[in-house]
Amino acid sequence: MESETEEELRTRTERKVKKAAQLLFFRQHRIPGVKGWELKKALGEDYVEVIAVLNSVLDTLGMEVKRIGEEGGEREGEEKKAERDRFMIVLKSPVIEKASGERIDNIAMLSATLAYIISKQGKVQRKAVEDFLSDKFPKQRVYFALDRYIKQGYVGEDDKALYIGWRTRAEVDRKALLDLILT
Amino acid sequence: MGNYKNPGKQMKFDELFRLLNFCKTIQTEGTDPFDLDVKRFLETLKHYHKKWKSLEDLLLDADAIAELAKIIELQGKWIKDRSSSFYIDPVLLELKLKMLEPQQLATAFFKSWHPIISLDRITPQRLTEGLAYWNALLPLGERDDEFPLPSAVESTFDIEDLIELNILSETEFDDAVQAVLNELEERGRIEYHAFIYGASFETSVKKAYLTSYLVNEGKAELDINPLEEEVFISPSYTNVNAQAHHTQSRSIPVSLSYEDWLRWRVRQKRN
Repeated sequence: MESETEEELRTRTERKVKKAAQLLFFRQHRIPGVKGWELKKALGEDYVEVIAVLNSVLDTLGMEVKRIGEEGGEREGEEKKAERDRFMIVLKSPVIEKASGERIDNIAMLSATLAYIISKQGKVQRKAVEDFLSDKFPKQRVYFALDRYIKQGYVGEDDKALYIGWRTRAEVDRKALLDLILT
Repeated sequence: MGNYKNPGKQMKFDELFRLLNFCKTIQTEGTDPFDLDVKRFLETLKHYHKKWKSLEDLLLDADAIAELAKIIELQGKWIKDRSSSFYIDPVLLELKLKMLEPQQLATAFFKSWHPIISLDRITPQRLTEGLAYWNALLPLGERDDEFPLPSAVESTFDIEDLIELNILSETEFDDAVQAVLNELEERGRIEYHAFIYGASFETSVKKAYLTSYLVNEGKAELDINPLEEEVFISPSYTNVNAQAHHTQSRSIPVSLSYEDWLRWRVRQKRN
């Protein structure tokens, strides 16, 4: 087999980066982003390198590819773990003032909910969160808001307990949130 | 537990039950797992160890060890959480959260928020598929129970969902698809439901799911007779229609219901 020329290699890489960008920008599933094994299937064995190239392109636009691991997947080998991880594009440092049409009180409730859950080691009874939020908002609004956060993926619910959802893990810098609240 | 007439024995059981309940309280209430003195607990168990005689005694001893192991695990997690960068005194944070105005809370969120960038776009191909789906769908009145509404597109399962539900593993998926293809090649052109339905409804649904992949990948083809409401499936190579490879793909809703499967089974038994 003839070895690939530099030009051919560049063309092939560009094609793969373009494909990776399309896969990551456009929603394929209910949850945004693409699993590692899907990228491997579409881009080939070197998909992690392709994502690294895409990342350097996105960096100039203030975006980055974020890799979200599954809870408890730390024991797997790096290659296997990457296949199970979800890759998605996020804003690196938001420069626009408003990136959401949400009402300010909904965001405030979400912010308080997340901080409260994080402070309780990532899992807390739903009733406790409801009681905490209803100190400042009517109960009905609190119920509605929590259901909405669960639907949006910011919060997860398991057997009447709330935990940090996949979307918070992808979008929110939890350490920064706590620091900002405490300062 | 039986009745223990020996007061000494009753006393040691009381002590163990008290410790067991304390372990369970820590687990359910989420209180500090270091409230339990593990060393003392072990010494108590050691103290009674030689006195155990019956099976019940030993079972209680094993139960106590199991509960103790859970507490030690919680203690490990407790230390890990406290040493992580996320650890913050919950009482302090709760107080702070109550003091902050909604505006301040929202600002904190926006400053730590890196929204996902994701777009939905309907492609011409997807529109064509939607139109084909519409064309193949019978009017609601005609479908009834005989032709139940297929699940909404948003709630369909993909491979990931099945892997998460432990119905399939990633590695066995390809093998399972291949096995269905082998069976189809063996049986040749066959009525779709006769091919899909099997001994249990669960395996039938699984087979239908795997078969949809064969059709998607062009390894199998569906032949629909809308007048007779019959659907036939065949492996791709048996289909003489060479144009099939050049025709546009379209979605075909094929119903699969428990009631239909039951009727199929009754027919099978009669035959």
